[in-house]
Amino acid sequence: MSRVNAAATGVERRTLPGGCPLWLVERGGPAILSAKLWMRGGSSADQPGQRGAAQLLAGVLSRGCGDLSGDALADLVEGCGAGLRCEAAEDGTLISLKCASGDAGALLPLLLQMACSPWLVEDQIDLERQLNLQTLQRQKEDPFQLAHDQLRGLLYGDGPYGHDPLGSDADLSQLQQPQLQTVAQELGQQGAVLVVAGQLPDDVEERLVTGLNTDPPRWQAPARKHGPRGLQKPALATSQDDTEQLVLMLGATTTALGAPQALALRLLHCHLGVGMSSRLFVALREEHGLAYDVGVHHPARLGDAPFVFHLSTGSDRAAEATRELLAEWQRLLEQPISEAELSLALAKFRGQEALGRQTSSQIADRHALVLGHGLPFDFADQSLAAAAELTPAELQSAAQELLKSPSLSLCGPAPALRAAEQVWQANELSR
Amino acid sequence: MPASPGPSIPPLPEPRRSDLSNGTALVQINLPEAPVVCLDLWCRAGSAWESEAESGLAHFLEHMVFKGSERLEAGEFDLQVEALGGNSNAATGFDDVHYHVLIPPQAAPQALDLLLDLVLQPRLDASDFAMERQVVLEELAQSEDQPEEVAFQELLRQACSAHPYGLPILGRRDRLDAHTPEAMAQFHQRHYRSDRCCLAVAGPLEGLDLIDQLEASPLARLEQGETIATPAALNLQPGEARLELPRLEAARLLMAWQLPGAADQDAVMGGDLLTTLLAEGRRSRLVERLRERLRLVESIDLDLNVLESGCLVLLEAVCEADQLNAVNEEVRRVLLELQEQPPQAAEMERAQRLVGNGYRFSLEVAGSVAAMVGNSNLWQRRHNLQQPLSWLEEWDGARLSRELIPLLHPDRAFNLQAVPA
Repeated sequence: MSRVNAAATGVERRTLPGGCPLWLVERGGPAILSAKLWMRGGSSADQPGQRGAAQLLAGVLSRGCGDLSGDALADLVEGCGAGLRCEAAEDGTLISLKCASGDAGALLPLLLQMACSPWLVEDQIDLERQLNLQTLQRQKEDPFQLAHDQLRGLLYGDGPYGHDPLGSDADLSQLQQPQLQTVAQELGQQGAVLVVAGQLPDDVEERLVTGLNTDPPRWQAPARKHGPRGLQKPALATSQDDTEQLVLMLGATTTALGAPQALALRLLHCHLGVGMSSRLFVALREEHGLAYDVGVHHPARLGDAPFVFHLSTGSDRAAEATRELLAEWQRLLEQPISEAELSLALAKFRGQEALGRQTSSQIADRHALVLGHGLPFDFADQSLAAAAELTPAELQSAAQELLKSPSLSLCGPAPALRAAEQVWQANELSR
Repeated sequence: MPASPGPSIPPLPEPRRSDLSNGTALVQINLPEAPVVCLDLWCRAGSAWESEAESGLAHFLEHMVFKGSERLEAGEFDLQVEALGGNSNAATGFDDVHYHVLIPPQAAPQALDLLLDLVLQPRLDASDFAMERQVVLEELAQSEDQPEEVAFQELLRQACSAHPYGLPILGRRDRLDAHTPEAMAQFHQRHYRSDRCCLAVAGPLEGLDLIDQLEASPLARLEQGETIATPAALNLQPGEARLELPRLEAARLLMAWQLPGAADQDAVMGGDLLTTLLAEGRRSRLVERLRERLRLVESIDLDLNVLESGCLVLLEAVCEADQLNAVNEEVRRVLLELQEQPPQAAEMERAQRLVGNGYRFSLEVAGSVAAMVGNSNLWQRRHNLQQPLSWLEEWDGARLSRELIPLLHPDRAFNLQAVPA
């Protein structure tokens, strides 16, 4: 039933009954299919007092839907040796399927059934809630997670981006079936898009709506809009932990994927944090031996994305590491990067794009993400072209505008916290 | 099996083997659809080859390699490779180490020159050495701050007793402090030899003829080394221990078993099937019983670690401390039931589909194909990419019960229970 692949790669845009856009990306190579259904919302749409609802719902969607019980669904998916996952991120809930192309006929119908007619059985909600609560607890073993959670609080307060998609203990333990029912009814109402990549069967559209015991969902393509905002005030938070190392995270809230200065920021990310020739790696690890792990975290977001330097260092070198990290941040504001550094950053940006297009899953994932943000299908290619036009001055002015007031999150032993805090208080970035 | 392949499934690409004139192994595999080429240089120089005094040296050397060569300044390799749109990394295991570069096809010859120069003629400068030691010590501290890693290290230490798999790859701190560039150079000379190295190249190779270039490279100038004694066979000791760990938030049940070593790839596929039917997916025996039905664990995983001296199957169950005994008893019960009841046909088919697809999915990426054929070739395993799928099909429930399931008896495991201090 697989169509012989005449052209190397073909892209087609179709529309499912009900309005959801469907993108088909036909590829040569192995007989694998990957499908991604992106529904806007995610953990940033969790209602007050219901932090963790989107993720809890995501976990329950595969525990029974349409005519299939959770066990029957697992038997079907695992019996095909396939992967079917559903997860809430900050800006959306994503259902992902990866399977042998020959099994697509049996598995594609699950995507819309999960989204449109989940069973939401109490018993299965109880199990999933308990698992999420345990995961939240276990994550506290990781000092990076602690520092990261703490920084999130500094950057987003109680705002929509202010919590882990898993939620908070207090809210999660209160969540019950009726609330999830409400969240489930909202799935896709803010926009949805489906991307299927790989070796595709002829009848993808029919397969997708097979067995739906409801009307096809009335979903539209996600519109362009600005997501949640961040706070812009420098702040410090510390948490004492009996570790060998001090974890430092220095970060600010910036701007959305596709916003005017986002591309300049992405190039700064490449310059600072991508590869072993990156500025932070060279300055902090190669020149000072201060850390094993040092880098930049800057995920794509619909709203004010975080831009974070992270590092962990031996606690006896806390002051030096803090000083060096702050100096690197300050340098971004004070001087433009060189033309040579810009060319290198561009090469990395292009290289990352090429490496991110190796598998059908990567391709489906990247397109679903940009379409989910209301950006055009070929956004990545447009960005590659536009990036080549940027100048060091434009990068610097993006830094000056978006990175002017970073916050610092520290996690480690008390003496290291004191040493780092002193350096921070004396630095003008803290004011 | 089979995974209902449609008629359009193309045959898997064949690895092309050709040794260089000095005997160094080369294996190339053409993946016309891949957007990048992966260059992967393998060497039999993992931590298991260290003497007691050399603790951590194999991994420390892997760090030092990136500090430059006779021809390349420190950092120059990264700069050049990344300016070409590529990236590189390396990994040190118990048995071997490998250095790999992902690079756009047109830049592959240039990257190859850089990689061979870097790995085979490292500079090992004394001041870089002192600086990089700090980085390695930071890496060690970072891993010691993860209590789960501490628990796994302790499991291996006690289970593998005298074997090097029981020792940390990162090394002992006091030994790291004592290492010198000279000792490292000796380690490099002893192990990075023509009969202990293999270069794998995977990606769109049409029109890319590397042989002449390689014959003129340092790879072709490697000499054969003296014979080095192979690490002793692993002899995992069953046993039990309990450990209190600070900063642990959830209790862990960790177990380790020994299966036949990597040389027996047929058994490796069987081991993959066995761990999959036990713990991959909601309908696997352990996950279904402990997480879905009895709800005793947050997660339960069973991993097959493919190693030359003997594969290690490692189990990890995460649970509340007060459930640890119940978890331990239930895992034991499931494993004893497995001794009594051979896997059913449906269970086998499910596991075969999962393992087979996992394998096929991994072939989509040049990096994992290069790693697979490079590692096989390094250890004189000359099967093609199709062979593991054929081995997979030949396993059935009865054979698993006969050959592998007895090895996974709970009494053959080392069992470590870690609880929050």
